[in-house]
Amino acid sequence: MNTPGSSPLQRLRRELFASPLDGLISLLLIGFLLAVGLAVLRWMLFQAQWAVIQANSTLFAVGRYPGDQQWRLWLLTSLLALASGLSWGLLRRLPHPGPAWPRNDRLAVGLLIALAVVAPLALQLQATVQLRWWLITASLITSRWAAGRWGQAIPPALRRWIPLIWPLLYLAGMVLISGGLGLVSVPPSEWGGLLLTLLTASFAILLCFPLGVLLALGRRSELPLLRGASVLYIEFIRGAPLITLLFLGQNILGFLLPGGLAPDRVWRAAWVLTFFAAAYVAEAVRSGLAALPPGQLEAARSLGLPMPLALIHVVLPQALRVALPATVGQFISLLQDTTLLSLIGLLDLLGTARTVMANPAFLGKNGEVYLVLAVLFWCCCAALGLGSRALEHRLNPLSSPAQA
Amino acid sequence: MTSSTPAAAAVMIEARGVEKWYPNGFQALRGVDLTVHQGEVVVIMGPSGSGKSTFIRTFNALEAFQKGSITVDGMALSDDVRNIDAIRREVGMVFQQFNLFPHLTVLQNLTLAPVLVRRRPRREVERQALDLLERVGIHEQAHKYPGQLSGGQQQRVAIARSLCMEPRIMLFDEPTSALDPEMVQEVLEVMQELARDGMTMVVVTHELRFARRVASRVVLMADGEVVEEAPPEQFFTNPRHERSRQFLSQIR
Repeated sequence: MNTPGSSPLQRLRRELFASPLDGLISLLLIGFLLAVGLAVLRWMLFQAQWAVIQANSTLFAVGRYPGDQQWRLWLLTSLLALASGLSWGLLRRLPHPGPAWPRNDRLAVGLLIALAVVAPLALQLQATVQLRWWLITASLITSRWAAGRWGQAIPPALRRWIPLIWPLLYLAGMVLISGGLGLVSVPPSEWGGLLLTLLTASFAILLCFPLGVLLALGRRSELPLLRGASVLYIEFIRGAPLITLLFLGQNILGFLLPGGLAPDRVWRAAWVLTFFAAAYVAEAVRSGLAALPPGQLEAARSLGLPMPLALIHVVLPQALRVALPATVGQFISLLQDTTLLSLIGLLDLLGTARTVMANPAFLGKNGEVYLVLAVLFWCCCAALGLGSRALEHRLNPLSSPAQA
Repeated sequence: MTSSTPAAAAVMIEARGVEKWYPNGFQALRGVDLTVHQGEVVVIMGPSGSGKSTFIRTFNALEAFQKGSITVDGMALSDDVRNIDAIRREVGMVFQQFNLFPHLTVLQNLTLAPVLVRRRPRREVERQALDLLERVGIHEQAHKYPGQLSGGQQQRVAIARSLCMEPRIMLFDEPTSALDPEMVQEVLEVMQELARDGMTMVVVTHELRFARRVASRVVLMADGEVVEEAPPEQFFTNPRHERSRQFLSQIR
């Protein structure tokens, strides 16, 4: 590939200007891209009025969550930052210690610091709020550093329990957000913005995964009733648009369950999202199961492993790794599908944005709002995608895992 | 080793009139009988499609059969899952495609079933597994993954994995057919040693030299039936049936 003397400049020249016609096309395209890029930049810097974002940043973040209770969300964010830093550092050092700060990590830390400095300034947050963001970023990086440095000193018996902090943190987060255990209750109708989006999405992602795995196993079961029921469920859900299911959930769950028992509108929507995504996850997992050679199950069974153990220890670890990219793809579209909650009257990120844009004070600022929304969603989805790729890499002990 | 087994030896496998139909109506087994005594090495040969693999796969219920009866180590095969699992614990199986678990290390491949099924302490099983790996000559690969080993090494790991469950019977379903020629010998040597130690074995294979040297009996199957059953000397030098002669002339 690389011919001698291929500096980046020479390579660019060879690839873009190989012949006069190539050169002409390249010039036209470059010119077009430059014009568009400059126009967008000029709009962002000079024409757009970001006051709409600056004035509503709290609304976008947490909706109408009562101001005097917002310390709970700050606490949750700090805990999340600490746990992330801890996990990040430990994953880098265990089970095989790599370099303490690989290039990607230095890049990520650089980005985090830049974000912590630029974002609060751009949003013109109050000094106290700015300070909190800086502290949270600092605690994330510090715990990353500490875990990377002393992670290996943790005795293995203790180390096995560390992943448990995530489910515990999730439960603690639920209590912090909704109240209880001595905290003032904040009903779901007051949650909103990014908080509501992330909450419903993470709830649905966590629950749809085991449900999807069970459905996929059911679909391949030898028991006709179980298989039939799984197929019926999956095909029914996949045949209906999510928005109709959401409306259906809002109306039907209210009728089916006696008054007090019907979950709140937010939870109804979260459950519908869960059941919806489970059908798609089931199909992704089924493809992973189908990719597994039948000899794997035969070998496990012939060693005397009963079916549940064979599934847990032999079939699923391999099938889920194959299904991982497709499954994360489903998670990403699930996150984006939460925007449909705005259509059933919930104030998720998009719903909040629509109320802001309907405010006479900010009429005509749609461009600014939608751009910020797009960037926020992109960040969340990119994080999911990066996480999935890291997980895939980590679960793969070999460069070529396939067996003869 | 090649002499006939004393009649006093316990019967390990007893198959009577086993018949099997595939769902498409094809009859794969047409009333097959076989008796295997403790310590015997029975080699099953036959052209492809003769039902020999299907037959030994009925011994540990990887294949169902519709008529006849099979008794393994005193337990009659039935549809009961517990009964099947109990039999599978006593019967090891080695496959043509090795079927090692690629997501586990060699050592974990060996220890998985004894720890989960026999509920033995992990330390103890690991020690035994390392011994077994040493016996099949791949002690130093214990912490590698199957994908990092050659075919011959993988098959030896597969044999060790079965042995780690301490089975009373070992089934081999064409264990060398998927191997490159230069790796066949190392696997056969392990099997030969196993036979010498008195393991009861049923082996589906095309390896004539192995059959000649190790088998107590050779069984020729064709079209879902047993054509001839004889000690190896007689089978290879003076087969009684025309079908056996034809088969031997084809593979020699």
